[in-house]
Amino acid sequence: MTKQPDIAHYAVSVVGKDRTGIVAGISEVLFRLGCNIADSSCTMLAGEFAMILIVSHPRPFSKGRLHDDLKPVCDSLGMSLAVRTLHADEIARQETDADICMISVYGADQPGIVYRVTRELAAIGVNIMDLNTKLIGTPEEPVYVMMLDAAIPEGQTPEGVEALLGDLKKELNVEIGVRLVTPVSL
Amino acid sequence: MAIQPILRYPHPVLKKLCRRVEVIDDSIHELITDLVDTMEAGPGSVGVAAPQVGVTLRVCVVDVTGNRHGRDNNHGRLLMINPEIVARTGSSFMREGCMSVPDYTGDVERATEVTVRFTEPDGSMREICASGFEAVAIQHEMDHLDGVLFLDRIVSIKTGLFRRKNYA
Repeated sequence: MTKQPDIAHYAVSVVGKDRTGIVAGISEVLFRLGCNIADSSCTMLAGEFAMILIVSHPRPFSKGRLHDDLKPVCDSLGMSLAVRTLHADEIARQETDADICMISVYGADQPGIVYRVTRELAAIGVNIMDLNTKLIGTPEEPVYVMMLDAAIPEGQTPEGVEALLGDLKKELNVEIGVRLVTPVSL
Repeated sequence: MAIQPILRYPHPVLKKLCRRVEVIDDSIHELITDLVDTMEAGPGSVGVAAPQVGVTLRVCVVDVTGNRHGRDNNHGRLLMINPEIVARTGSSFMREGCMSVPDYTGDVERATEVTVRFTEPDGSMREICASGFEAVAIQHEMDHLDGVLFLDRIVSIKTGLFRRKNYA
């Protein structure tokens, strides 16, 4: 997302029971307001549809206006709404030269998988960029799957990160794999 | 010798079907020199296709010798006129980015091995069997000759969230 100083930016999140027409309903309001959807991520989580949008609008504009126009649609769709104003330094373009790894973690469901793994990653300076978890398997044998994209610190390798997670892997009895997915420029 | 600016989408040339080269004359040699110079100037670039510099001819250059994914398995600098893939096997995924579509990356499926036939700048025919990253690069550059961008081939909606300053 590019930085545009004369443009107001807002973080909008909408979550509620999935049904058809949610994206169309929300984006219609934004369109009529003259808002732009910059970066966004919307996905189905269990039966809920969750939208996170970075919305921009040429000034003058207000968070109140955005909220007030979205509220009736969210109410009619039975969805929660949150709007936050972003400051200029929050919308600056993120740049990295780091290697990107996909880290997969899966195994018998148990409390603390996300916490224990991400605490370890944070301790070695790994920055999570994208994270998905899903509970699969059967009620008798629930399996937890976590997939994340992360930037690893300079000098670190996927093998190195995997090795540093070795003890935790044994302790939790889960599978942990780290694969290089740094994009190639063609 | 001239580094050309890389055209970015939505420049219409990037979606055009390129014409075959019928005669290899000075203009083709000049084009190849430009493509090589432009490739060398791009940060970590391993290939450039003619439409990326605004020329709708079936010419591209590929060189993965300086790339960590390709340095141990390559055919050196490939200067390809009218390249054709005559055989392809296997399938693998790689997260690709493109100088013509900055700030976006995505997982693309490519053949792991391709046999490519092309004309060299001196007019001779050559056939190579490329694999690994070199095969990916060849397929990506050849796609440009058909007006196909990696965005047309993305199979996962996971996208790069961070703009890359350089590509390894």
